[in-house]
Amino acid sequence: MSDATRQDLSQSNGHVGNGRPETSHHPETDAKREDKHYYGIPPIKHAHWTWQIPVYFWIGGIGAGTHLFSTVAQLLGHEDAALKRASRYTVLVTMILSPIFLIWDLGRPERFYNMMRILKLRSPMSTQSWSLLMFGNLGGLLAARQAASDGLLGRNVLSRLLLKLIPERLLSVLTLPFGLFVGFNTGNLISATSVPIWARNWALMAPTFLASGLSTALSWLSLVLHLTHSGEAKTLRALHRAEKATIVIEAGLIAASLVRMSRWGKPLFSKSVAPLFVGGALLSGIAAPAALLFSGKETRGKSILSSLLVLAGGLAFRFSLIKAGRISADDPEAYFSFASGESAPQPEDKV
Amino acid sequence: MATGFLTDTTVCIGCKACEVACKQWNQLPADGYEFTGDSYDNTKQLSGTTWRHVAFIENPKKRRLTGDVDLVALAEDVTEPLPGGAELDALGRWAFMSDVCKHCVAAPCQQACPTGSIIRNEFDNVYIQPDICNGCGYCVPACPYGVITQVPNDGRAFKCTLCYDRQIDGLEPACAKACPTNSIMFGDVEDLKELAEERVQQLHDKGYTQAYVWGTPEVGGTGGIEGNHSKFILMDEPETYNLPKHPYLPQEKVKGGVIAGAVAAGVLGAVVALAFRD
Repeated sequence: MSDATRQDLSQSNGHVGNGRPETSHHPETDAKREDKHYYGIPPIKHAHWTWQIPVYFWIGGIGAGTHLFSTVAQLLGHEDAALKRASRYTVLVTMILSPIFLIWDLGRPERFYNMMRILKLRSPMSTQSWSLLMFGNLGGLLAARQAASDGLLGRNVLSRLLLKLIPERLLSVLTLPFGLFVGFNTGNLISATSVPIWARNWALMAPTFLASGLSTALSWLSLVLHLTHSGEAKTLRALHRAEKATIVIEAGLIAASLVRMSRWGKPLFSKSVAPLFVGGALLSGIAAPAALLFSGKETRGKSILSSLLVLAGGLAFRFSLIKAGRISADDPEAYFSFASGESAPQPEDKV
Repeated sequence: MATGFLTDTTVCIGCKACEVACKQWNQLPADGYEFTGDSYDNTKQLSGTTWRHVAFIENPKKRRLTGDVDLVALAEDVTEPLPGGAELDALGRWAFMSDVCKHCVAAPCQQACPTGSIIRNEFDNVYIQPDICNGCGYCVPACPYGVITQVPNDGRAFKCTLCYDRQIDGLEPACAKACPTNSIMFGDVEDLKELAEERVQQLHDKGYTQAYVWGTPEVGGTGGIEGNHSKFILMDEPETYNLPKHPYLPQEKVKGGVIAGAVAAGVLGAVVALAFRD
């Protein structure tokens, strides 16, 4: 230290204000800086996912649930032509739209086929791509056969070949596991990340997504059958009963998820997500249709209304989870509290 | 041989030469002229276009400056008793930390990558093959350190390559080469581990008992990540440097999630079957 500095400092010691020397080197103590964060900059990065991803989660769930219902009906010997037709074409349309949305969301859409370079069992994104490929193609074959039997392909050799070569029952059963995987793996897709609200709920995310997917699928089928005045009475009765059971299971799983998420579930109730989650997913997507389904006699009008509510609620649920994930990832406090102790999933944890 | 970094934050002077060298060598675009107003650090964080980032932790403690104060000693944060009975620590600490991809031993980004674009190269570094990445962005939320982002206009994800191209030619990474205080050290991971332990011991002997190595399987490499090839010598809580204390491997629970999903599928299938019973 130079003598001049020493002198300056010793002089300033004589004129201390608030017990400290007045020098420009002395930083102000800022109460905000007492926390453990780096100026509130998020320590992890959120997923870039835009609307295509929650919409895909929604229609993928509808496709999977629809196939589950029609396959179970078929296996129980309940052959309803209208149900089968609605189911086959639903799977076809959802499985045409799903890859479109997913490829649209890629940073380099023209390289989508690189997903098929490799199969990684530990990457839900990889298993999701492959199961989508399988479900889409097998579901497409089933839909082609359906189209042939409906006469949509005309009366030609192709139609006859499709009807003859595609073993419908067997193929339905073979397609089922891929469909179900598409339905529940979307939950694992978001829980296998560093985002606290998603990762915390790893055990219940897949069941919740499948239950919600099935409930939207049943509503979709019931809506289509009611609107087209088709479907046997037995099918509609079974649909109604399944809808009631599934909505209860879904509500239970969402409640359990909220308990499991505990403090990291807060973003779902934040100002920007609460209208969508509480209003859209919980009240109008579960509570209102449940009231309609469980109250009094079943009527066509009530069924249609509850179906529409469940379908909208399912979409709202997926959007609110994705939005909440963004808030959770952007909150340093949430991530640091999650990744500081035993809250985060650990290798030694049991399932 | 596994190579990696050892970043000794105790000798970092915050010159940002590593950031500049990295940008130049890897021809990374600018991130725009931003003024955070938080500190002298205006580049904020690691991203797909910032592979080295020097954090400025301006961390004043509520301590008082009294007596005959030696400013040089003050700046060096000397904790030994000072002549004249001067009390020290008044400035708190102005810490710098050059952050970089941690090159995890079990890398979450690599496990998340559905295209196999993210690999471990011959130097055991985590490397994104830019000709394969299709920009799905799934590695971004998987990274427990917020290292990777998808670069706008390009669409692909990028991060530190540990100067793969320079290593092939037998050169050290650009940031380590540029570092004027040798705060960034590059070499064999095993050698760096010993070096880190020696340096921490040295600091402890000097009285800085708070110094420790971050990036070991116990600290910063926890939860299935099994340690980092980029280690750091830190003097404060990891959170001060925007690092998690106890990160975890997100893919650890994929198997459990699939089992849970399969069980749910069985139950829901049974529920649907029961609904058909009259």
